[in-house]
Amino acid sequence: MVDQLPNRGREAEMLQEMGLASMEDLFSDIPADVRFNGELPLPGPQSEEEIISDARRLLGANTDMGSRPSFLGAGLYRNYVPAAVFQLVTRGEFLTAYTPYQPEVSQGMLQAMWEFQTLISELVGLPIANLSLYDGSTAAAEALTCAVRVHNRKASQPNTVYVSSLTPPDKLSVMFNYCQGAEIDIRTLAHKEDGTLDLDALREAAGSCGVYLEQPNPLGVLDEGLVSVKEIIGKNTALIVGVQPVSLGVVEAPGHYGADIVVGEGQPLGSPVTGGGPLYGIFACSKPYLRLMPGRIVGRSIDVDGKEAYCLTLSTREQHIRRHRATSNICTNETLIALMGAMHMALLGPDGLRDLAHRNMMACQKAKEVLSQTPGVRLVHASHHFNEFAIEVQGAASECLAYLDSNGIIGGLDLGTWYKDATNQILITTTDQTSLDEIEALSAQLALWNTHGEVNA
Amino acid sequence: MSHLFNHNGAENTGYSQPVPLQTQNEPTVPGGLLRKQSARWPRLSEPEMVRHYTWLSKRNFGIDTGFYPLGSCTMKHNPRVNEVIAQLPGIADIHPHQPEHHLQGLLSIFYEMQHMLEVCAGMDQVTLQPVAGAQGEFTAVRCIQEYFRHRGEDQRTKVIVPDSAHGTNPASAAMAGFEIVEIPSLADGRMDLDALAAVADETTAAMMITNPNTLGLFEADIKAASEIVHNAGGQMYYDGANFNAILGITSPGLMGFDAVHFNLHKTFSQPHGGGGPGSGPIGVKAQLAPFLPGPLAARRKATADESSMAVDEHWYHWEQPEHSIGKVQQWHGNAGAVIRCWAYYRRYGSGLKTMSEHAVLNANYLRHAIHREAKKAGVDHLFVDGAETDVAKHEFTLSMQPAKDAHGISAMDVAKGLLDRGYMAPTVYFPLVVPECMMIEPTETESKDTLDTFAEHFAQVLKSDPETLHEAPITTPVRRVDEVYAARNLCLRHPYDDA
Repeated sequence: MVDQLPNRGREAEMLQEMGLASMEDLFSDIPADVRFNGELPLPGPQSEEEIISDARRLLGANTDMGSRPSFLGAGLYRNYVPAAVFQLVTRGEFLTAYTPYQPEVSQGMLQAMWEFQTLISELVGLPIANLSLYDGSTAAAEALTCAVRVHNRKASQPNTVYVSSLTPPDKLSVMFNYCQGAEIDIRTLAHKEDGTLDLDALREAAGSCGVYLEQPNPLGVLDEGLVSVKEIIGKNTALIVGVQPVSLGVVEAPGHYGADIVVGEGQPLGSPVTGGGPLYGIFACSKPYLRLMPGRIVGRSIDVDGKEAYCLTLSTREQHIRRHRATSNICTNETLIALMGAMHMALLGPDGLRDLAHRNMMACQKAKEVLSQTPGVRLVHASHHFNEFAIEVQGAASECLAYLDSNGIIGGLDLGTWYKDATNQILITTTDQTSLDEIEALSAQLALWNTHGEVNA
Repeated sequence: MSHLFNHNGAENTGYSQPVPLQTQNEPTVPGGLLRKQSARWPRLSEPEMVRHYTWLSKRNFGIDTGFYPLGSCTMKHNPRVNEVIAQLPGIADIHPHQPEHHLQGLLSIFYEMQHMLEVCAGMDQVTLQPVAGAQGEFTAVRCIQEYFRHRGEDQRTKVIVPDSAHGTNPASAAMAGFEIVEIPSLADGRMDLDALAAVADETTAAMMITNPNTLGLFEADIKAASEIVHNAGGQMYYDGANFNAILGITSPGLMGFDAVHFNLHKTFSQPHGGGGPGSGPIGVKAQLAPFLPGPLAARRKATADESSMAVDEHWYHWEQPEHSIGKVQQWHGNAGAVIRCWAYYRRYGSGLKTMSEHAVLNANYLRHAIHREAKKAGVDHLFVDGAETDVAKHEFTLSMQPAKDAHGISAMDVAKGLLDRGYMAPTVYFPLVVPECMMIEPTETESKDTLDTFAEHFAQVLKSDPETLHEAPITTPVRRVDEVYAARNLCLRHPYDDA
């Protein structure tokens, strides 16, 4: 029997008061030719105990990353999220609120989001941050359309944007879907053998509406060349930088080297990987983009008594007012996950963030040192890395990963799924959760794979 | 006031971290990329942080705090077991790129949810990838666009929306590159078939409409509308924002729709979280299925080799639609939200119809009770129904225009008066076709007693002295917020410089 319906058993009383004879009378306005006949062909209702037992059984059939050494990242990162974040975010006042349309009774979330905007603004070095988009990929895609709205009039290459050729294909696909409606042409920018951006080839992008690059790049490379990009592309082309936010504890904020828009996957701050969602997309920009940017934003104001108060502002850009002329169709966003991010950032503080970034770098360095000594493994880029790096293995990466899996290791990402020439490369990801034992286990199995490969050859 | 940025304990960090792994060489950041100045974040200990966010939470109103009759938003109770389930490592700690045999449980739940939504909506294939209702709309119109391109019907560049539609409908279609054709509603708020017939032609790609409509009325002519659009060669798109009214009673498929989005955060109780996350799956009829974003969860009978890892004798796998538009989110959508909604669905199963019946029962009862209490208090002349109808569906509208004319009391004044009485305000000034509109949706999880008491308070608010009501709210953490001031004196972050 279904529960959670307080008026079960009172239906007759309520109907009678309305002068109706049956539930059916409530649906007298629905014509017979569109009526559903009979019961929904679905299993019957379950009790909470049965549901949780089924959930444990089904979700227990998944292999969670914490149960074994895992080196899979590629855009999502397993960082420790402190217990206080989970405890506080499930407070019903936050969890069960809607978008704060009535500011008088929504000051808590509004202030928390205004603080979130400040935390992100400081983190990336830009004056404005919105209160989240869906994820890193949609934030990047919306940044491209925003750049076109701002720069198209003066651009010598109108309706054109350039993105790194290393951009993962799934992210590129999101960009394409978001850009095609405005007939925006997405062109790619080449990288050199060492994984860094080809600054000579970049000159081609000058006069376009925007350039999208990542720092660290999708192969984990920290690319110093990005500090020269803005000078090359000029002020009428937006520099959009995608970041891994934790890295900004040690890596320069893109706003300080010319970025006009900074986007990124917020997940590593505040949220578990959660099968790829919900996440939160970071979107920050400089002033010229403010009135054409996507998403909600909170402003500090006053109430009628002159008391400090917060409310949503600049909403004339948004769909509920501007309809088909809106800067984006976004309505529901990822506020609660952004709140988790804010809580995590508040707990870290500037020193905690630096330490966290440092731990991530140390784990990555350790893995590089160990794997560079592992027979049959070659590090693809002799470079500075954050979180991850590409290795080359003997034979097909897909087979190597299957071998590692059969030995209880989640080995990383088959880069052949991203780049057609990289079928023998694996993207190895480490985070602050990576232990020495796990790195050594990976190394040992990769060495065995090499021997095993030779045996088979 | 508690201000995050006023906390600056010299050495404080909210949690200590373990010693990093030791390396032979210290990893370095290239010189030009070294961060020179730390982010000016606050320094808090955990006790200070916990108290700050607890204080903030007390200045926020959620369903758990009180009745939340926000029309169009379906603010139903969020069962807590769903939160417990969503934190299990089998969902919290899995990566979307793990191999299929690591994700059999997730895939089986995805498959079950796809199937359930297909059954409830009368569609042939569902994808769970879109992460919000608006993204679902966008995804579906993209699929429709590619479908027509595939058929060589590139001239279908227009999408028809009624003027009472949610703003996301035209915004999503415009984002995909469509031209918007808006048609007026009839005086009673219903769809105008003649206006539709006048604009539907060989340039029409789709019509986007919600049913029940935004006034809470069921569009009885919906099949005729579908026929007009189909005869013109277009596709029918169902905005599922109001799906809570019709589960097991009718379906978009039965009404003639080709595509539909679901707001899992409305109908299936993913908590709204102050603005998100949501989840916006879409369902389509067979002709659109090859264009869906991929991958989709699919299954077959498990082989003997697979049986040890298989769930319920099936092997689950991802499948790529033949002419997929690609991705609208980089991964598999908001998997964590889907899991919560799966837990919610399991609570009802075939009884989802009862859920919708109670949502409609409560809306009609509340409408009745408001009129009853207003009459008792002698204020029933101060508002009228937003639309004339015998029965509403899951929500209804009232027009406060008479109160405005008689006493200068606006819908906003009534909304603020309700805040003072411990309620969240209904949606105001939407849909635009109803003057001084209040849109009220109680949902199925409110008791008769709550509805009766709310109706009494509603009447009392209308009885208030207009001058007093203009001053409302007075009991809330802050009083009416100056939104014009906020827009004119933009302060979008902590102003360190003034500190």
